[in-house]
Amino acid sequence: MSTDDGVMGTNDDAASCKRYAVDKGYWSDPFISSMVPKSSTKKAPEISRGYYARVISTQLLVEKFLRLTQCNSQVVNLGAGFDTLFWKLHQAGLVPKSFVEIDFEQVTTRKCHFIKSKQQLLQALSGEDSDIMMNKAELHSANYHLVSANLRNIGALESKLSASGIDRALPTLFLSECVLVYIEVDTTEKLIKWIADSFPTSFFINYEQVNMTDAFGQVMIENLKARDCVLSGVSACSSLTTQMNRFLNNGWTGGDALDMSVVYRYIPQEDVHRMERLELLDERELLDQLLRHYCLVWAYKDISNIGLHTISLS
Amino acid sequence: MGDMSDLDRQIEQLQRCEVIKESEVKALCAKAREILVEEGNVQSVDAPVTVCGDIHGQFYDLKELFKVGGKVPETNYLFMGDFVDRGFYSVETFLLLLALKVRYPDRITLIRGNHESRQITQVYGFYDECLRKYGSITVWRYCTEIFDYLSLSAIVDGKIFCVHGGLSPSITSLDQIRQIDRKQEVPHDGPMCDLLWSDPEDMQGWGVSPRGAGYLFGSDVVNSFCQENEVDLICRAHQLVMEGYKWHFGEMVLTVWSAPNYCYRCGNVAAILELDENLKRDFTIFEAAPQESRGIPSKKPQPDYFL
Repeated sequence: MSTDDGVMGTNDDAASCKRYAVDKGYWSDPFISSMVPKSSTKKAPEISRGYYARVISTQLLVEKFLRLTQCNSQVVNLGAGFDTLFWKLHQAGLVPKSFVEIDFEQVTTRKCHFIKSKQQLLQALSGEDSDIMMNKAELHSANYHLVSANLRNIGALESKLSASGIDRALPTLFLSECVLVYIEVDTTEKLIKWIADSFPTSFFINYEQVNMTDAFGQVMIENLKARDCVLSGVSACSSLTTQMNRFLNNGWTGGDALDMSVVYRYIPQEDVHRMERLELLDERELLDQLLRHYCLVWAYKDISNIGLHTISLS
Repeated sequence: MGDMSDLDRQIEQLQRCEVIKESEVKALCAKAREILVEEGNVQSVDAPVTVCGDIHGQFYDLKELFKVGGKVPETNYLFMGDFVDRGFYSVETFLLLLALKVRYPDRITLIRGNHESRQITQVYGFYDECLRKYGSITVWRYCTEIFDYLSLSAIVDGKIFCVHGGLSPSITSLDQIRQIDRKQEVPHDGPMCDLLWSDPEDMQGWGVSPRGAGYLFGSDVVNSFCQENEVDLICRAHQLVMEGYKWHFGEMVLTVWSAPNYCYRCGNVAAILELDENLKRDFTIFEAAPQESRGIPSKKPQPDYFL
């Protein structure tokens, strides 16, 4: 599909914004420079602050999940792009049994290349007496797996997860950041339902657009369409309720949905104050408006009752 | 006469969103400085006049503004600052306004916004745009030198006080503004900074501004300022308002915002305030210029989101 090129381009954009923010000191990520070149253009402070809130809040939830399960669990990052989360968790001593990253083949091919060529990235994958298997677009190591699949194809996803040694009985965290919004809603509903049906003890974190029915949302839809990026799944992004119900109506037990302006107030404020001093923001409303149009949604299904419902930002 | 026809040609060129030569910018700034240096910190303006808020380099939307508000010199204008930054055509926007100021000094008033500053323009785009369009920062230097000469505020018929941001705890009277030595970079604090950075807020007294500069000021502060200075209304810009204009504290403070779909992202409409010779107020709302009237497709703005 031609529109997927536009969607893949969003990975480069997000990666470049994150690299810019990391270079400015918004948060620490010693690994991003191994994957993403220095940004050639300046990014506005509200963009860096918004990425900060996203990176910090998602990582906070992932870490809570790993601590609760004492890393006897798995993480599946859907549409991972050039995300460095695995390496940051490895550095923090929080490595799950399996950490699987999935994306389009064109994206995983590039990521494979970075991992192969950067000692810093490779080091984290080589445990004791474990081999690393890799080809052009995929990579398997003891704990880390990078595989290519189109998320619209559940069968393909299923076989790639099996090839990564995923154990459906283990607590499993699924993570998607600005991914579902590009896929038709009936397809994402099937995906979400398939995960709930297949993984009896699981947690899902979804970060993407919300409150998209207003003027700001319409402008975003048009602007992204102009760069071949169609928000095919935007109808699930009408409100926090539509975002939450997508999970509750498809096999998940409970969860929460917060817009990012609320999330911004929940993440550790001491560091927020440090971060806000890095660059003056000339117009606070620009940040607030962006934050109100993105959300963090999490959902759990906890057959074995390990306490997944206790995971939250607070 | 040669000068005037040169200037008219430059205005025509800028109105097509084409930059003028570096040497022409230098000459234009020199002439602008002669005019601006004579203006007061509280520049007196006569009604009728059309008052405009932030433009932010949105050149095609400025043309839309002139389309709905009338051309210079047929319509008198007061622009309350923030001509540059964030939009893609800060160079063309500021130079066009400056050229119009030089050509029709009594028909157009430009006062300084918080973005007319060396420091801010290095973060929000004008510096990079000058470098990109001219290959050096010389034009940015000329322009930022002129920023220092822009007036800090204006008063329409002695009754409507116009300023980019708002009030300052160090200022109770217009005379105190008149005493400021404005020919400098916008300071980090103090009265000059506050005038360009402050915001009204539903509160009493003064508050800390989330912007990191200026203050929040409440209705009691506005009341006493207006009484002391016999002013009916404080008109300001500085804050994005989705409906283009917004009243605060009843009808004592007015925000006017003139950059539609700000940052090509916000989805807001824009407004201008038309004051007739009796200071009767009339708002005109306008939307962003249609896409086809903008430059070639490759210049299409790409606003930032989280992707």
